[in-house]
Amino acid sequence: MQRDEIPPGTLYLLILKTLALHGELHGYEIANSIQYRSNEVLQVEEGSLYPALQRMLMKGWVTAEWGVTAGNRRARYYKLTAAGRKRLAVEVSQFERVMEAIVRVIQTV
Amino acid sequence: MGEPRELWRRVRMLFHRRRFQADLEEEMRLHLELRTEEHAENGLSAETARRMAYQKFGNPTVIREKSYMAWGWGWLENLVQDVRFALRQLWKTPGFTATAILTLALGIGANAGIFTLVNAVLLKDLPVVDPQSLVRLGDSDQCCVDRGPENGDNYSIFSTDTWQRFQKNNPEFEELAAMQAGLNTLAVRRERSQEPAHSINAEFVSGNYFHTFGLRPAAGRLLQENDDVQGAPATAVMSYALWKLDYARDPSVVGSTFRINTYPVTIVGVAPERFYGDRMQSTPPAIYLPIESMPVIRGKDYVHDPDARWLYLIGRVRPGTALAPLQQKLSVQLRQIFASNKFFSGVHHSLIDRVQVPLTPGGAGVQSMQDSYRSNLHLLQWIAGLVLLIACANVANLLLVRGMERKMEMSLRTALGAARTRIVRQLLTESLLLAVIGGFSALAVSYGGAELLLKLAFPSSQDVPIHATPSPTVLGFAIALSLVTGVLFGVAPAWISASAQPADALRTGSRTTGGASVLQRALVIMQAALSLVLLVGAGMFAQSLSKLEHFDMKLDSTNRYIVHFDPQSAGYTAEQLPALYRTIDDRFHQIPGMVKVGLSTYTPMEMYGDNASVRILGKADPDRSSSYVWVNSEYFDSVGTRVVMGRGFGPQDTATAPAVAVVNQSLMKAYFKPGENPIGAHLGSPDSPGDFEIVGVVQDTTYGSVYWKDHSMFFTCLGQQPLSATTLTNKQPNVVFARAITLDTTHPINNLEALARQALSSINPNLSVVKFQTFSAQIGEQFTEARMLSRLMTLFGALALLLAAVGLYGVTAYTVERRTSEIGVRMALGAERGSVVAMVLRGAMLHTTMGLAIGVPVAFYGVALVKSQLYEMKTVSAGALAVAIGTLLATASVAGLIPARRAASVDPARALREE
Repeated sequence: MQRDEIPPGTLYLLILKTLALHGELHGYEIANSIQYRSNEVLQVEEGSLYPALQRMLMKGWVTAEWGVTAGNRRARYYKLTAAGRKRLAVEVSQFERVMEAIVRVIQTV
Repeated sequence: MGEPRELWRRVRMLFHRRRFQADLEEEMRLHLELRTEEHAENGLSAETARRMAYQKFGNPTVIREKSYMAWGWGWLENLVQDVRFALRQLWKTPGFTATAILTLALGIGANAGIFTLVNAVLLKDLPVVDPQSLVRLGDSDQCCVDRGPENGDNYSIFSTDTWQRFQKNNPEFEELAAMQAGLNTLAVRRERSQEPAHSINAEFVSGNYFHTFGLRPAAGRLLQENDDVQGAPATAVMSYALWKLDYARDPSVVGSTFRINTYPVTIVGVAPERFYGDRMQSTPPAIYLPIESMPVIRGKDYVHDPDARWLYLIGRVRPGTALAPLQQKLSVQLRQIFASNKFFSGVHHSLIDRVQVPLTPGGAGVQSMQDSYRSNLHLLQWIAGLVLLIACANVANLLLVRGMERKMEMSLRTALGAARTRIVRQLLTESLLLAVIGGFSALAVSYGGAELLLKLAFPSSQDVPIHATPSPTVLGFAIALSLVTGVLFGVAPAWISASAQPADALRTGSRTTGGASVLQRALVIMQAALSLVLLVGAGMFAQSLSKLEHFDMKLDSTNRYIVHFDPQSAGYTAEQLPALYRTIDDRFHQIPGMVKVGLSTYTPMEMYGDNASVRILGKADPDRSSSYVWVNSEYFDSVGTRVVMGRGFGPQDTATAPAVAVVNQSLMKAYFKPGENPIGAHLGSPDSPGDFEIVGVVQDTTYGSVYWKDHSMFFTCLGQQPLSATTLTNKQPNVVFARAITLDTTHPINNLEALARQALSSINPNLSVVKFQTFSAQIGEQFTEARMLSRLMTLFGALALLLAAVGLYGVTAYTVERRTSEIGVRMALGAERGSVVAMVLRGAMLHTTMGLAIGVPVAFYGVALVKSQLYEMKTVSAGALAVAIGTLLATASVAGLIPARRAASVDPARALREE
């Protein structure tokens, strides 16, 4: 199966959206969720989630709390904050605007 | 870092870094484990599962670093890393590090020390409320009581009457305070106590004095307007220092009666602790008395003489007062006052139009001490600046050499991919670190240094209100200076190292033949030049001091002592004086070993003088002022002045005998033609020139200062007074108080001070010793400043020489190091050891000689600038120049010889093998 790198700058968007859908997730779950929902097309270098999550923590878009997984292991769960929800809206509209523009450019005959 | 909340999160992060790192570590591990397990469940071998998980995850180290960067403290981590690395590098080269730090510490420390002193002496305000709004009327020190016109147009001392008129007519002043220009020593004794009278420094001040300065009492109350009224009960305020030292802060002092010059005075309060009077001086006033009590306490009439100017004025102006119009207004008022002054009549009348009352900032009080130290302190600042320049050159040189030595290392790093900025940053961190360590060491140096400077500057007094504690300004100054040095002299070597083409450097390897760079040579030459200038300066000041000290003052100070006392403050009247003088003579002659007992109004080499215009009977008025001293018959012998013509005073010169005078050789030369016999001529004031018959001529013993040359003087006999003498001295007839007893003894007498005190208090308990000194100590006091300058110049010159030697050594040693293989080849080809030594030495000497070529003209220029501070020296003396050049050359050869010998000991075989 063809696998593609995610477009640059969209990692925040993907994480935010994933958290918005599922509520609380730990890093491994976020990576799995993105991969699954993109039908295994989007290829995230899984480790790169972590610096992004750290940045988002600093920005106050997400909070993190330690919890226990189904398999009874300690994991850090991330959750969206109000600021994070607002940010998601901004990122989505930004992405849509860019996508539309790109689509227009490539569909011009 | 965006909004404040984000900043807050980042700061929290910084403090809980370990926990955050552990958290990240744990979640990354979990992720990898979960992924590995997933792969394993899908049937992969454990090893493959693990490898695939890692592959998908990416490089954990990179991710970890990226995450740390996300926290925003990457720069800090880098800094810590850089500093750690720099410390390690510095630690590896202790010689370099110690030299650089020591150089910086001495260079900056010397500057900070001088700056502390300047700050404490020149820039300090009085400890009073709002010193900025204080204005002084006047700009100079015109001590102590004047009547006629001043030299120049600016007036700084005023009469009581003028002060009162100024006060009444100038609402611009919230308060206008008056204070005595020349302070007095008074005898003070607590009433109903057993203590003997002691002499203290007292100041007569106006009633609003303390109020003008906005001061609050430490105890009791301060003086008020109603204390300073004629006929008011006598009151005084004590200084905190006297209250503490002599009365152990006894509260009962306030309200008690003290005998001041035998007159009962109530102490109403104690001045605040930090207040040292209205001017900086070595002995601050211990008692403040109202002006109006002066006539009673000191028996002086000039307080109410509208022509006698004796007060300094300091006022507090209302906010927003323009000073230029006020100065104009005061000047006009003073001209009007002078119009009715008899001293401004006749030829002097035209002077009135030019009279000015200059207004100057009064926040620092009367700046007589500051004025006398200003030029010396500024000179020292310049000298310290030069030392710093040399120190900076040294550090720059050391850093350059170090930079070159590490060229290989840097090239290798660059070749391995280190960014140039990273290398520059690393090297800068090193030099800044050096600078900071140097700066803090400099603080230690300046702390001790300022203390030392203060001791050198004011050796005789413990009460100087100057504290050599470096202020925050000085601390900042030192640190800033060291940082500037570090950056300035760290950037160049860093840049040179970093801009090396790695391939070049690596290719060349150790095959270097070139010596030090042009920049290094220039720095060493500059150091040599500057240290020559400082050495010449040190030599000049040492010569100047030696000239001063070996100046023939025409006196003899061996086994001689001077006792200052004050019969006036002990309450003696004119009638009692002859008996007192006789008793003193008797009592002191009873001390075993006493040879001569001189009594006089003042003595040689003390800063005091009575001046008068004199005329010789039958000759024209030469318009020349002479100093005069009242002395007893043993006086000339007691100070060692020889009589060259006629006779000195003798027992025959009694009150009833004709009044006689002795003149010095300068007066004789000024008034008499060569060969003309002055003996028998008559001398007196211009109004009555026949008062005294000249009976003898004495040598020109130096009074006052060695800077006064050909100063005409005459001596008159204590106890004798011609009928018309009132006009000569402007004093009450026959009230001439002796102030000094000069004791000439056969051998040093250790307990003479105690004996003198006993002798005086046995005559009268109110008679106290104002000051007891050996004659030599009194003379030495006049040279304190010259000695301080000379010592400091020598200190700085030695420092400069040391630093220059280190610099020269460094560069020569570096050159030798670089040329090791070249020297090896030369020696293999048959060069003699001697010629190798000569070759290396030649290089060192070349630098020194070029330094000399620059330094000599600069030294001439520098000495021309400071010649006013040298005694009778107009230009660089051959001796000082020769010694300076010799010292520099000798030091340079030592600094060059060490590396030269090392060069000569190079083993050719080894040097070639390294090739």
